[in-house]
Amino acid sequence: MAVKPILTIVERDFKYFFRYKWWVAGMVSMNLADLFIMAVVYREMVNRNVIKDYFVFFAPGLTITALFAAAFMIGREINMEVRREISHYMLSLPIKRWELATGRVLAGGLRGIIYMAPLLATTLGITYFGTEGKIFPGPLEFLTILVTLFLVSLGTSGLSIALAVSTISFEKYITARGVVYYLLFFCSTVFYPIGLIERALPQLTLLARYNPLSCGADLSRAFLLRNPPFAPYMLIDIALYALIFVSVAMFAYMKVIQK
Amino acid sequence: MAPIIRIVNLTKKFGDFTAVDHLNLEVEEGEILGILGPNGAGKTTTLLMLTTVIKPTEGTAYIGSYDVTKEPDKARTLVGMAFQEPKLLWVDSPWDILNWHAKVCGLTPDERRKRVRWVLEELELWNDRFKSVHAFSGGMRKRVEIAKILIQRPKIAIVDEPTAQVDVVGKHRIWNMLRDLRYEGSTILLATNELYEADALSDRVAIMHKGKLLVCDEPKKLKDSIPGGDVVEITLEKDASDKVLEELKEIPRVANVLAIKQNHLKIYLNQAEEVLPKITEFFMRMNVQVRSIRMSEPSLDDVFAHYTGLTIEEAQRE
Repeated sequence: MAVKPILTIVERDFKYFFRYKWWVAGMVSMNLADLFIMAVVYREMVNRNVIKDYFVFFAPGLTITALFAAAFMIGREINMEVRREISHYMLSLPIKRWELATGRVLAGGLRGIIYMAPLLATTLGITYFGTEGKIFPGPLEFLTILVTLFLVSLGTSGLSIALAVSTISFEKYITARGVVYYLLFFCSTVFYPIGLIERALPQLTLLARYNPLSCGADLSRAFLLRNPPFAPYMLIDIALYALIFVSVAMFAYMKVIQK
Repeated sequence: MAPIIRIVNLTKKFGDFTAVDHLNLEVEEGEILGILGPNGAGKTTTLLMLTTVIKPTEGTAYIGSYDVTKEPDKARTLVGMAFQEPKLLWVDSPWDILNWHAKVCGLTPDERRKRVRWVLEELELWNDRFKSVHAFSGGMRKRVEIAKILIQRPKIAIVDEPTAQVDVVGKHRIWNMLRDLRYEGSTILLATNELYEADALSDRVAIMHKGKLLVCDEPKKLKDSIPGGDVVEITLEKDASDKVLEELKEIPRVANVLAIKQNHLKIYLNQAEEVLPKITEFFMRMNVQVRSIRMSEPSLDDVFAHYTGLTIEEAQRE
């Protein structure tokens, strides 16, 4: 039965995540501080004709930011395991390789969702009380948000694992991670709406629009703020992101890691 | 009965370097096979290929009836490995490491509890079971690593230098536990560069050097097979010249002379009681003063030296 070994692998990665519970709590606090200090200040700086309420606009974006950072952590751990050859132990375990790979990718994705949960709850409160019509997503909308955020988390976990096993040296891994962070965050609608990017840097519009983080943030905004409107391409984009990077990560973990 | 491990032309290359070179070896079910060789002999690489952690460049190995290159998932169900360097995350405690390992190996909660407690007590880790291995000495970490396999009790237990960094009392305890593991039905493949360990534990010893298998047999047969079954170790007051060494070899019944150091010679010969007076006479004639003479039985080091012309120590330095 494949479920049991996968869950055992997930359990291990969960334990490591919560072993640093104070660090995790600190990070969540920092994210909340970003929201309640930075976003509140920015609200006063940003032209209200462009973004009506930056605080409310930023909350779903921050949720994605936190989700991405937490899901990406699994890659750092796997990179360390490869460098210290702890991966030899993992590869020698009496379970199937695909179960091992699935467990690692799934653990990364679930860790992202769990880390993001308090921020999503805060975002729900902010968008409810911060919008004129007191918008709250319906059950199906909320489920769609959760599923898509989980897919973003899975894809990110896969992306980080693929990077981790392909760049054995820690310096290269950190550099690659930095490049990915910058590309995905700054060429996205996490911090600013697509209209602004179209005006300021039109050459980045395509990348920003189809960036899975943009789709994740905008899909949440679609159900939490009713703006931008929901578009099916967001779901397709995120599903593709998850599918591609989960596949790449599993391939990399099963093949590249085994010299 | 078919061997439980069959290694066929197993080869591993890292770039231009051949770590394991067309290795052929069979291991019978229930035996302890020691793989003896200096660091860099290819022992660990061989074991990693058997556990499907790394892929062979050429050849293959069969674990039970499973080909490691074609059915690695099935092959791994029969194998458990204790690594040379403990593969532990330093934030873990022995309790967590062993419980998780037992779980992933499919032990029931009841078995898990019993075996983890038993092994922690046996290896004197019970009192430290909740401490992070970060605070442990090298020997303690090594004990945690070996504990994994003692809990798992796999069909084939692969142990890589199981007692490196472990104190003498700990070594004997681990050896006894490995023997017990064998009596419970496991076949044990033991890689070591410690001669005494290989001699004391193994039913058969395979000697490897530079990726190649030199010889494989029972320790006693290996020792008996050396021409010049007696060994005389002579320490001289000053270094022996090459001329002295050459002439020493000419003495009848001297099979070989090995200079461990230039003033410490190991002479392999037959009928030592007759030849020894001739040797002392030879040194007197050559005006070389002898500090000490010691006769001994050949060891596995002598077997290694016979096949390579080097002691294990020298091979290690190479």
